[in-house]
Amino acid sequence: MSSQLSSQLNKPATQTAGAEGYNFAYLDEQSKRMLRRAMLKAVAIPGYQVPFGGREMPLPHGWGTGGMQLTATVIGEADTLKVIDQGADDTTNAVSIRRFFAKTAGVETTEHTADASLIQTRHRIPERQLRNDQILIYQVPIPEPLRFIEPRETETRKMHALREYGAMQVKLYEDVARFGHIATSYDYPVMVNDRYMMDPSPIPKFDNPKMNQMPALQLFGAGFEKRIYAVPPYTKVMSLDFDDYPFEVQSWEESCSICGSDHSFLDEVIMDDAGNKMFVCSDTDYCRERVEQGFTAENPEGQQGLTPEPNQSQQERKTQDDTKAEEMAP
Amino acid sequence: MSVQVNSMNRGAVRSDLLMAGFDDAVQDAQKVFRKVLKAMSEPGTILTADLTDKTPGALNKSSWEIALTLFDADTKIWLSPTLAGDDVVVSNLRFHCQCPMVSEPAEADFALALADELPELKTLNWGNSEYPDQSTTLIVQVEAITNQVQDSDEGWCLTGPGIETERGLSAKGLPYSFRLDLVNSRKRFPLGVDCVFCADDQLVALPRSTEIKPSDNEDGIRNTTQQEAN
Repeated sequence: MSSQLSSQLNKPATQTAGAEGYNFAYLDEQSKRMLRRAMLKAVAIPGYQVPFGGREMPLPHGWGTGGMQLTATVIGEADTLKVIDQGADDTTNAVSIRRFFAKTAGVETTEHTADASLIQTRHRIPERQLRNDQILIYQVPIPEPLRFIEPRETETRKMHALREYGAMQVKLYEDVARFGHIATSYDYPVMVNDRYMMDPSPIPKFDNPKMNQMPALQLFGAGFEKRIYAVPPYTKVMSLDFDDYPFEVQSWEESCSICGSDHSFLDEVIMDDAGNKMFVCSDTDYCRERVEQGFTAENPEGQQGLTPEPNQSQQERKTQDDTKAEEMAP
Repeated sequence: MSVQVNSMNRGAVRSDLLMAGFDDAVQDAQKVFRKVLKAMSEPGTILTADLTDKTPGALNKSSWEIALTLFDADTKIWLSPTLAGDDVVVSNLRFHCQCPMVSEPAEADFALALADELPELKTLNWGNSEYPDQSTTLIVQVEAITNQVQDSDEGWCLTGPGIETERGLSAKGLPYSFRLDLVNSRKRFPLGVDCVFCADDQLVALPRSTEIKPSDNEDGIRNTTQQEAN
């Protein structure tokens, strides 16, 4: 047996297409184990922020180091990685993180939401409904939803322990008092599984309904603050609101200038010094897919009379309304 | 905090008892972790972890592979008496994981137990209300696990995060008192103990967020949950 053992021990370390001199996916195995244990706790206590020993990554904090540490810990040779920044696959942050993992882990990368098994995201959830076999990894700048209300970590810990979330309702009420509606438009706080208040990272509140009962596992990594939290698949995630001021998402009078979509999250793009502007889908892959299917700005119904895919956010919105109606029913 | 080392495990690693761990420590650990992550995020889902040929002593494949994946010098391990008394198990865990062993379940990050040697649930660390993550994770070796609960008197009906509607689960060989304690422990969420049940090369997880209802009319547990419902 000992000869078998020594032959095992003398086997060369993992040889992958990754960068020479680095472990698979950059992080060392001990750091990965620490992150893995933290991740399992995060999944077991949905919405609760698990502290972890954050590692230095070869790019500055604030550029997605939290999400990258999670991706490095979860990713395997069989994975296909997609990285988006504000919905786009081709922005600096997304391109450099995607290339980082292509280089250090030698994994397949893709820009197609449907083909990805792991999606690391900064500040958006893809428009296409995610599947149960996909994992969505968020980059989080500030994980504590109560931080701007209560700066002390010891106090926010207590507030979470006691489920003492009245202060956040007051903050939303101040919006109502001042503007006549809840003006918070991103980083909109949610309750996970009716227990923990969670910061969904600075996604637009347009994306909040997609988190509710999402079939994919959602992992959140904050590199600065060294926190991991998670939402398991099929978990109730409700945006905070008031009975008389229900949660609602942004809508646009315009539709996408490229694919004609009137139901996706739109970016406003300034075209010239005269102030002309256009609106385009923030999710570049979704927009491309629609164009390939024959949808255009002039023909938003599709050339071959294709019916657009059921709009996830509208469906999910309905789910939240339904859930609420059920709860309010006697 | 000083770790009290279990006196019977004080002995050095016996090299004549060592056996191989993963063929590929990096890739295999990642594969097993993804199984455990899937199990923990979708409670009641049975997954297969079959990457090793031989296991030390009484450890079965899935619990051995979880140990290789998650244990290291930072995790204090409590072993149930039979495992703790087996030099093969202790030597191999020491050698492959470098994990310190503790004699009190409450001090452990991971407790690894045979189903008939389970510590009382209350003797494990449940975390505290500000840091519920500082709890013990309990890994239990059981005879068999199945999602078929119709004819089983040990069946559970699981609901909660990670479960779309509900999921049946039966882990064979768990003592009645343990199952009762586990159901009752749900009242103290977010405190609690996350469990992984391992049967041969299969594993299934039951995190503290999962609500458990017995699937039959087992008196003690059924009454408790009915009172809760009322």
